[in-house]
Amino acid sequence: MRDRILAVDTVFRRELATVLRTPGYGVLAVGLLALLGGVVAVGGGAATGFVPAVVDLLPVTEVVVPLVAFVVGYRALLVDADSGELAVIRTYPVGVVGYVAGVMLARSLAFLAVVVVPYAMVGGFVWATAAPDTGIFATHSGVDSPLLYLRFLGLLVPFGAAYLSLATVVSAVASSRRGAVALAVLALVGGVLGGDLAVLRSLATGTSPSAIPGLLALTPNGAFRGLVFEEVVGVAFAPQGGFVDVGRAIGSLLGWTVVGIAVSTVTLAYGDRLEVLLEGVRARLAE
Amino acid sequence: MSDGPFAELSGVTRTYGGVAVLEDVSLAVRPGVTAVIGPNGSGKSTLLGVLAGAVDPTDGRVRYVGPAVDRAIGYLPQRVPFREEFTARETLAFYARLAGDDPDESLERVGLSDAADRRVGALSGGMRRLLGIAQATVGDPPLVVLDEPASGLDPGMCERAFRTAADASGADTAVVVSSHDLDLVDEHADRVVVLDRGRVVAAGPRDRLCSDRGVDDVAGLYRAVVAGDAVGADEGVREERSAVHVTGVSER
Repeated sequence: MRDRILAVDTVFRRELATVLRTPGYGVLAVGLLALLGGVVAVGGGAATGFVPAVVDLLPVTEVVVPLVAFVVGYRALLVDADSGELAVIRTYPVGVVGYVAGVMLARSLAFLAVVVVPYAMVGGFVWATAAPDTGIFATHSGVDSPLLYLRFLGLLVPFGAAYLSLATVVSAVASSRRGAVALAVLALVGGVLGGDLAVLRSLATGTSPSAIPGLLALTPNGAFRGLVFEEVVGVAFAPQGGFVDVGRAIGSLLGWTVVGIAVSTVTLAYGDRLEVLLEGVRARLAE
Repeated sequence: MSDGPFAELSGVTRTYGGVAVLEDVSLAVRPGVTAVIGPNGSGKSTLLGVLAGAVDPTDGRVRYVGPAVDRAIGYLPQRVPFREEFTARETLAFYARLAGDDPDESLERVGLSDAADRRVGALSGGMRRLLGIAQATVGDPPLVVLDEPASGLDPGMCERAFRTAADASGADTAVVVSSHDLDLVDEHADRVVVLDRGRVVAAGPRDRLCSDRGVDDVAGLYRAVVAGDAVGADEGVREERSAVHVTGVSER
């Protein structure tokens, strides 16, 4: 057990050192801060309170958080596989699970730094500039509160983790940087728009509107949006709730994360064997 | 020197897109230096990849049968793959931590102590190869697989890379190295495997292979077996083709 932890820690440290030496992530964080600051300034939410600021930020968040997750993760497992270093690493006592865990932990930390810090700074800006009511700590209806903004920040974590996990799948499946970019764009567009379009289509084909809270919870964006309405915006202005099935939404975000990690690990562990199987099938067909 | 095998390949075949790159190869790898030689595209890198566990065979079996240790096989691919933003010491520190070894000792072993703080991206091709050899020997694995450690280097650096690889071999270590530099193979290899179009066409102790074919050195052996221009070579190759598929280096 100790050896496994040491292996994960060693891979984690190396990945974190790589991330820290990538200036692009710093630029990404600054760009995100500028974007979020601009959105809040234009929307006027910062002058009004935390919940209005969340309402301003929500549509942008549904696009930029998945985008940042893909930027941070789309090459996470591809870098070593593409350079050939993964074949070298696998001659050491570190298993595929330990390797993926180390890389994912470091990339998750990088993602949190790039995303949460700008959002926290925007929160600080709202605190400094909004009306006096924002200083009241409360979770009850009708009262704006920094606690609600903290909830919003907290919800960013599982939402981002789900997309980071999907980005890691892209990095495990792709065989080149160009392929990874193409797959990442497809997955990003599919994730951000695909879920909502599928729900709309299901309504057109006769699905009952009462099923929407349950259906929305199945996609990462629908689950995140529903949770924000349920646990942040709705607490202050619409306490009756009913935007989304909360349990299913949380389960959905966790599920996407776990499935993504599992698929990445299996792909890395058995991808070569699949190729060998296909070669075998090809050989039999040629006979 | 213990003569038991450290790795065994039996009937190994590897195809890509239906084309056989390695075909029905059977070998046993023993302590000492085994050099794999052959023309470009003869399957040397694939054979070494199979030995190192980096390439899965489409048919046949490869087994490590050496001493039970934490790190059994050391591997340097043909293209040295390290991350360029790390220094030589940081690169080896990562691997040394996984294997419980000392990175500075590894750097010293290949004569790179003075370049320890230089980024991999700033190292010369030869230095990168030496760093790769140092990595492959981290943790003292019993089987070290080096894919063309002297490729693209000047004669002095070639000699240094090969000598470093040869120094790593011994009674407890088998070093398998591929190369086009037949003079260096002649100087350092205990055993030779000659590949041609994915098949082993000659394999065994260097001296025996040379004397069997009436040649003075490995360059002569290569010409006799692959190019077929030595006296009686055609007949010898045909015999070896049928024999080696069964016996390989181990002469099983």
